Amino acid sequence: MPWSRFDSNYEAPAGARDITYCAAIREAIDQAMCLDPRVFCIGLDADDKFGVFGSMSNLTHPERVLGTPISENAMTGVALGAALSGMRPIHVHLRNDFLLVAMDQIANYVAKWQDMFDHQVKVPLVIRSIIGRGWGCGAQHSQSLHGLFAQIPGLKVVMPSSPYDVKGLMLSAVKDDSPVLFLEHRWLYKNTGNVPEAMYTLPIGKAATLRRGGSLTVVATSLAAIHALKACEQQELDVDLIDPRTIKPLDLDTILASVHRTGRLLVVDYDFPFAGFASEVVAAVCERAHESLRQPPQRLCFPDRGMPSSGRLERAYYPTPERIGELMRQMILGSSIDADSFVN
Amino acid sequence: MDRKATLKREDGLWMLRRMRLIRQTSERIARLYPTNVMETPVHLCIGQEAVSVGLCRHLRDADKMFLGHRTHGPALAKGLPLPKLMAELYGRTTGCSHAFGGSMHLIDLEHGLPGSSAIIGGSIALGCGAALAAQLGKNDYVGVSYFGDAATNAGVFYESMNFAALRKLPVLFLCEDNGYSNVMPKSAHSAHDIVSVARQFMTTLQADGTDVLSVYEHTGEAVAQLRRGEGPVFLHCATKRWMKHQGHEACDIVDNGIDRERDCPIRKLEAFLLKSRLITPAELAQIEQAVEAEIDAAIQFAESSPFPDPSLLEVS
Repeated sequence: MPWSRFDSNYEAPAGARDITYCAAIREAIDQAMCLDPRVFCIGLDADDKFGVFGSMSNLTHPERVLGTPISENAMTGVALGAALSGMRPIHVHLRNDFLLVAMDQIANYVAKWQDMFDHQVKVPLVIRSIIGRGWGCGAQHSQSLHGLFAQIPGLKVVMPSSPYDVKGLMLSAVKDDSPVLFLEHRWLYKNTGNVPEAMYTLPIGKAATLRRGGSLTVVATSLAAIHALKACEQQELDVDLIDPRTIKPLDLDTILASVHRTGRLLVVDYDFPFAGFASEVVAAVCERAHESLRQPPQRLCFPDRGMPSSGRLERAYYPTPERIGELMRQMILGSSIDADSFVN
Repeated sequence: MDRKATLKREDGLWMLRRMRLIRQTSERIARLYPTNVMETPVHLCIGQEAVSVGLCRHLRDADKMFLGHRTHGPALAKGLPLPKLMAELYGRTTGCSHAFGGSMHLIDLEHGLPGSSAIIGGSIALGCGAALAAQLGKNDYVGVSYFGDAATNAGVFYESMNFAALRKLPVLFLCEDNGYSNVMPKSAHSAHDIVSVARQFMTTLQADGTDVLSVYEHTGEAVAQLRRGEGPVFLHCATKRWMKHQGHEACDIVDNGIDRERDCPIRKLEAFLLKSRLITPAELAQIEQAVEAEIDAAIQFAESSPFPDPSLLEVS
């Protein structure tokens, strides 16, 4: 199984079960709701029979699962108002793109409320959102935008890649007294992995090293981390693969320590390239570890344009494990190939 | 309603003191503002005091009220101590928001003010969230969304009313209608009639927002419905903004219909209390003087408080 890859510091204890990423989310939410009556879920279609792609099916406390009208902006304010009144809401969105409808509340209210009042208030609010892709979903149902959200002070941005991480980080997010944006890639939902049944938390702001190697540091999150791992395994590459797990706060120490060893950096980021997460990682590494770099760092992102619909175009638009592997191989061999050539 | 028979002296005096506190504080701010001791945009509410004061006489500390940008009046009415307001305007660490909020971002958790917002409309949803928390947690406090007429043009207004009505939330939508969005009259900013729109969603009440006893009476009815768990209420209070949208100067919009003698909520209440023999002229003068002394003390507190150290901006 590709998921038996946890950092030794955060390995699941022996005897745990294999469950899906989706089931791990469901278990975390259910356990959080059972543990703490202040936890409730709210969102468009949160209470329908589909249970948010199964991630909220058959919860123990359905009375604390509230469906809402298509009013993402006000509902974010409602969740914030409830959080300020002592509750611990989990606001869920079926598509990440819908968060943009609530951007006033997310950027001006949720993110700013603690700074505006010098942290006299707690804002224990989790905003869950699912990243889509494929089957012609197109430009408004396929965006990730984690770089955009990470740019706003006051938001933590978490995007786990494995069932073990998603359970532990979901519980950490619900436990946190500040707002956490929790991004789940839909393509990870059926992946399985080793997950303890008991409740546990994982630290927000701590990266996981998915593979040890000495020739190239690769930083990749969420689905990109899984694709990069697959590429390493397919091509048997000597890669140090880091999954930050949280975009913000970012575990820069782990990344820098790796770059000091390998002298090479590739960021694989399934988001738009301009002023994004990949840019931030490259800039931070150039500022702090320039002397260690043996060649220019590279970014592999989406093209700087909206997602297409036709399957033929989609397959050209999105990076794949094969393309990631080819770029990694080129970098290790020392060739300075332009990452853009893989997507244009 | 026969006001004389029902109004208690203590309620009348409380409302007069709060209105005077808001009025005289606002006038003092207007006098000091040109000296730049307050580096923050101020949205004064001279002329509008009746709305927040009539409302807050029926609210408890546990009730949670969310405000927009025109904060001073409602915050003082709800119970924010004046020294904490003045220190915040002066940018001092002893301010209610520790010098991070300024005029538009006031907070006082002890008195049910979980914060205010400078983006028009959005805080309407937060009052509904407080009401949802009350409902889910089986608490008996209510939420109050306090906003102006221009906020009814924002989508969040409709989204919030719809959700509040669907879930029968104990939330009061308090519309302090001063007739203007900055300098744009209501006739130019709203094709709709605000109360008619709200009536599609919930019980609506209308009060004279220049008459504190009218606001007090209607709020009593509204808050009673909320506490009975019978769903949200919309209370419309038509009032008049004597000042410019922002700053220390009087409103200079031509034909604004303001008559400071006729429309003054303080004069109206004083006249009523005198006529009803609930107060004496000597007591009126005493209240005015006591409020002036309170303002002097608050300004002294603000001026003698420390400025924040820039090291507070360091990010861990």
